[in-house]
Amino acid sequence: MEPPREEIGTRDGRNVSPGLGQLLGEGAAQQVKPPPERAAPDLLPTVAKEEPGSPTYYGLPVLKEPVWTWEIPAYFFTGGLAGACAVLAGAAQLAGGAPSRALVRRARLLAAGGAAASAALLIDDLGRPGRFGAMLRVFRPSSPMNQGTWVLSGFGAFSTAAAAGAVLSLPRPLRGASEAAGLGAALLGLPLVGYTGVLLANTAVPLWQMTGNTLPLLFAFSGAVSAGAAFDLWPVPGPGATMARRFGLVAKGAELALSRIMHLEASAVPRVEMALRRGRAGRLLRLARIALLASVALDLLPPRGRGRRLASGALAMAGTLAVRFGVVAAGRASARDPRATFEMQRAGHGAAEIVREKKRPMPAPPGVDVGGRESYQHGAAPP
Amino acid sequence: MSTDGNARAGRADGPGPREGRPVEVGFFTDSTLCIGCKACEVACKQWNQLPDDGFRLTGMSFDNTGHLGASSWRHVAFVERDEPLPGQGSPRNGAGAERGAPAFAELVPLGQPRPTSLLHDLAPTQIAPPPGGNGSATARGPERPVPLGPTQEALSKFSWLMLSDVCKHCERAGCLEACPTGAILRTEFGSVYIQPDVCNGCGYCISACPFGVVARRADDGRAWKCTLCYDRLRDGMVPACAKHCPTNSIMFGPLDQLRLRARERVEQLHARGLKEAYLYGEDAASQPGTHGLHAFFLLCDRPEVYNLPPDPVVPTAKIVRSWKAMAAGVASLAALAVAVVLSARET
Repeated sequence: MEPPREEIGTRDGRNVSPGLGQLLGEGAAQQVKPPPERAAPDLLPTVAKEEPGSPTYYGLPVLKEPVWTWEIPAYFFTGGLAGACAVLAGAAQLAGGAPSRALVRRARLLAAGGAAASAALLIDDLGRPGRFGAMLRVFRPSSPMNQGTWVLSGFGAFSTAAAAGAVLSLPRPLRGASEAAGLGAALLGLPLVGYTGVLLANTAVPLWQMTGNTLPLLFAFSGAVSAGAAFDLWPVPGPGATMARRFGLVAKGAELALSRIMHLEASAVPRVEMALRRGRAGRLLRLARIALLASVALDLLPPRGRGRRLASGALAMAGTLAVRFGVVAAGRASARDPRATFEMQRAGHGAAEIVREKKRPMPAPPGVDVGGRESYQHGAAPP
Repeated sequence: MSTDGNARAGRADGPGPREGRPVEVGFFTDSTLCIGCKACEVACKQWNQLPDDGFRLTGMSFDNTGHLGASSWRHVAFVERDEPLPGQGSPRNGAGAERGAPAFAELVPLGQPRPTSLLHDLAPTQIAPPPGGNGSATARGPERPVPLGPTQEALSKFSWLMLSDVCKHCERAGCLEACPTGAILRTEFGSVYIQPDVCNGCGYCISACPFGVVARRADDGRAWKCTLCYDRLRDGMVPACAKHCPTNSIMFGPLDQLRLRARERVEQLHARGLKEAYLYGEDAASQPGTHGLHAFFLLCDRPEVYNLPPDPVVPTAKIVRSWKAMAAGVASLAALAVAVVLSARET
């Protein structure tokens, strides 16, 4: 028997009675959950305040906010930790000599563990986790996410093989292969720590697009900070401890400098830079700065006890984690703000940048002269 | 991908369709003809069998769709401006009069001394003349001048802008270039299509679209957007929105013909006194960041007013510098790792 009319209406939001019509349209495959679990989809983001100045469409965002949840910044952290650990292990394996084997062993374990956690986080964030394999059906240089998935897959294989050599007593030929895998993991660890910055830069989000030169560097050194901090929390015997501490210390300085440079790069358009200072993102990034500075202070001031190392490591870990979450939160805020997009593009940081590079004349959009200034008032006829 | 884009651009500008290959088609949406009836939204939902968006009111305007979404592939924007626009408002006292010739002649019904319209329904005796008598004024025949009432006063400084927004099917598409699975492809009609059976819902295309078109439906988990009615095109039919548009605001056809038509329309509007009219994204010259849109628009105000970006750019077009920065960063990281190992080495 036909279900009552009300039930048909609320079942999948289409009002197509199965007795009368078939679902064959382009959007028919779109799944809709039954009412209790079915959240109203695509709710409008908070309507921004109407502000004087350049027009917006009721303050609504022009871009869609990134749909990524906490898994993605968490992955930036685990991936960065794993990659930087593999790089440090590779360097110690090549140049550190026998006394640094303890560092190599632990760094390989961290790299393999980080790679596994990264894969789990990435799969969990997908809208259709069962289809994660689709990422590897193409090799596409234009998509940093595709390139990163290939890098992470290779890195996972190499780092696991290297970690196996670190914990198991393997027969001689396999031990050699495991050593080679350690070097392979170090090589792939390099793009793994840096590509996440490119991944964010390759979006329409004004803040991430504006800071495309700094983000890859920031994330690379942020990964190194977490690697250094990991060995503060899990101290290694031998010279490895000093290597890891110095690695972390230099990286902390670089990260502090780069986060300052990120602000400077964004501040070419003040509205874009605002996302780094306000709200949740601003709080996270301030927290990160304070934690990293405190960690550096603990590292440099004598005396250096075990408690101090632990505190420094924990602060650095918290700081570098807050950097990832802060940058992602700032990007979300930036995507919600229509004026960030408009003002960035009006200031010549849209396609005008490419056109300038290619030395072609810039077509002036209506209402704007070549210098990017408004050439006529809102609503008035052009001269 | 850029070589792909260039090759495609060459094909689109070529003299005609290649043998056995369909012509590239698209939309030209003329905002001056849009009356905000939302028939395009309804037709799209109905043909594509898209689920509802939750029946809510935005409370800001007649626009209760708000934006393009996973289940809304057409969206009519309603802009209420405190600015006159030729062709709108009172022909006597409104924008047209200020610029000289009225845009439309007033209709005076037979046997009546005065034109009848909403504006004239308010008898002069019912409304107080404005202080100082400013703004009043045109003497009509033998009658005394009719003072400008508050309704007329308000309407003479007001205009509606409406625009049916849609996926732009960019010549160089940010979503397509960012898609890590190859789920997004370019069809034989030149449109950009997301294959629902491949998409794994990574959400990268959503952030890569410079127009904020692509969206993910939470309970479905995949990215969705306008397909340019791929199923209808395959059967030689016009997309549902264009078919239903009662004023021909949405025009569908081969891109080269649409561009010609759009330029003629702009000239026509300029000749009629609507100097603000211009085309948004009709070709690579006007929008270098996307190499032109397959769904372009005729607008009467700045793009921001319609929630369109003024100078959109496909993110991939700028990404080489980021890869270079990454290479420099990781090279220095490797150098740092080797340096710290050598500095603390025990021999």
